[in-house]
Amino acid sequence: MNWYQWFSLTALVICLGSLILHAVRLIRLGNPKDFSQPIGKTGSAMPYAFVGAMSPAKKESAFLHMPTYVAGIIYHLGTFLSIFLFFLILAQINFTEWVNWAIAGFLLISGLCGIGILIKRIVKKQMRELSNPDDYISNALVSAFHLITAFAILSPVPHPSYFVFTGLLLLYIPIGKLKHTIYFFAARYQLGCFFGWRGVWPPKHP
Amino acid sequence: MAKLSNDIAEKGLSVLKDKNNGKLIAHLNSCVHCGLCADSCIYYRSMPEAKFIPAKKVDLVSSIYRRYCTFSGRVFPGLVGARDLDEETIDEMVDLLFGACTMCGRCTVHCSIGVDISYLVRTGRTMLSNMGLVPKTLQSTIDSAITTGNNMAISDEEFVETLEWLGEDLQMEVDDDTAHIPLNQVGKDMLYTLNPREPKFFPLSISAMAKVFYAAGERWTLSTKMYDVTNYAYYSGNIGEAGVIAQRLYDEMEKLGAKKCILAECGHGSRAFRWEGPNYIRKPYPFEVLTSIELMADYIRTDKIKLDPGKNPDRVTLHDPCNLVRSGGILQEQRYILKKACLDFVEMNPHGNDNFCCGGGGGQLAMSEYNERRINIAKLKADQIIATGAKVVVTPCHNCVDQLTQINVTFKLGIQIKTVAEVVADAIVLNENENTSK
Repeated sequence: MNWYQWFSLTALVICLGSLILHAVRLIRLGNPKDFSQPIGKTGSAMPYAFVGAMSPAKKESAFLHMPTYVAGIIYHLGTFLSIFLFFLILAQINFTEWVNWAIAGFLLISGLCGIGILIKRIVKKQMRELSNPDDYISNALVSAFHLITAFAILSPVPHPSYFVFTGLLLLYIPIGKLKHTIYFFAARYQLGCFFGWRGVWPPKHP
Repeated sequence: MAKLSNDIAEKGLSVLKDKNNGKLIAHLNSCVHCGLCADSCIYYRSMPEAKFIPAKKVDLVSSIYRRYCTFSGRVFPGLVGARDLDEETIDEMVDLLFGACTMCGRCTVHCSIGVDISYLVRTGRTMLSNMGLVPKTLQSTIDSAITTGNNMAISDEEFVETLEWLGEDLQMEVDDDTAHIPLNQVGKDMLYTLNPREPKFFPLSISAMAKVFYAAGERWTLSTKMYDVTNYAYYSGNIGEAGVIAQRLYDEMEKLGAKKCILAECGHGSRAFRWEGPNYIRKPYPFEVLTSIELMADYIRTDKIKLDPGKNPDRVTLHDPCNLVRSGGILQEQRYILKKACLDFVEMNPHGNDNFCCGGGGGQLAMSEYNERRINIAKLKADQIIATGAKVVVTPCHNCVDQLTQINVTFKLGIQIKTVAEVVADAIVLNENENTSK
């Protein structure tokens, strides 16, 4: 392996190590003990917390903002795909040409979705007031990651800059808000516990 | 505000430095500032300024957490938006966490990530409470409860006198000289609680519930020592004071040996005692806790009371108290009751878990300094009510009754505001021979 591949691999280990530490801490702490008498079941609330409550029909944050919601979904799919491809590229596993073009096309779209979300953050005054530098950097880095990955898989041999960029992104993940990769699941788990215990989720029909 | 000393700042920060609270750590690290929660907030909907976006309120707390409790916040505060806990931050916290949030939890349900926003606002309030920065108006309500046993500082004599004439009133109402409102009786099945606004301003809601108990043949009692279901320390975030108030009701239950504690129609009171109380005092209750709504629904289901909906012929709509419904799981019971007790029941839109707060929650009614905002946000509720065409708005919460009463006057709605017990009492058929219009 070249130095840039080693760099990206080292960054991956640091990133994963850090995220695992966060995850282990959250799992170890678990849910605070609740002394109240439950009227619902957290077990049945948990699937709802992760699936039903996330559906666009149930969330104003989705159905009142469909373009942003759809862009966000595509953007996240592109991110997962780009991370998956990083492992394949490192392992030098190749697809056929038409699959590479299809993936690159999707990553172009998902990258543009990310850029669109970034533009919204820059253009809207209220979003600017809500944002800190990390919000812009995280969004820009991940969007660029999609596009650079698209170029990488279309190249016979990925350019060294791909590995350097990916390494930098991986090192940045534990620093800023991108660590919501872990905390998203913890927050929804906690919410499932809270609303399930009190019989709010899964929702009853009025 | 005056210069913040390190000692005082440390009292506030100690709340965030709890390394054993997985729930707090999870929610503090989760917000991605997408801003999509904005439209779920009644403050933002009424006054669309960035500072009212729920994520902004979350950020007030989480930015301090990042500054003092995370590596990146300590090393690169500017990069991750980590803030010092200074005078400016504190002024903003007081204004937005106390003065611009009813902790209704609507944003939590609709958050794209699942951040428990109202929990974090309450955490911020706990920080301010630890630093002695609870608005004086709210704190005085808590002080009254701590020093006198009820938040309206009603004397025992005044309370007993009120109940005596309500008892006489009940006898006339049900035409039975033996009917009465039992006080401090040991070994009854139920201890019933009250919102002190009832003996002070709305005594008829006590009569209404007494009539329901009478009709059901219930073995119940009130306590003159501890009847206050409210716990405004839940709103201030002062865990110690909230524990003192919860412990008192717990002690009274034990002293009177009642099997069930029945919580009056009070959203935050129900939440504070049923759900938060055991955690304030760090032990489970050895008795059952029920809301009067669940109890009345059960009376109807089991035919302990009979209702004639024809006695409530006007169109009725329901306002769902946030703490009872969205954070308390009581959603169907009040609807079941109203469908049995009224001829024409219609829902607001949205309703249930998605209902808008009336604007009186979060201790807003106790904090007169934020009155203007409280009335501004109420327009949303007024519009909801108007759209139903209802003549009567029913709500199982005395806080909501107060806010709805002000909404009624301010927006000239010309409606009646009632509790569920009042509607049920109006519909009760005491005598089988009584004509019914079912």
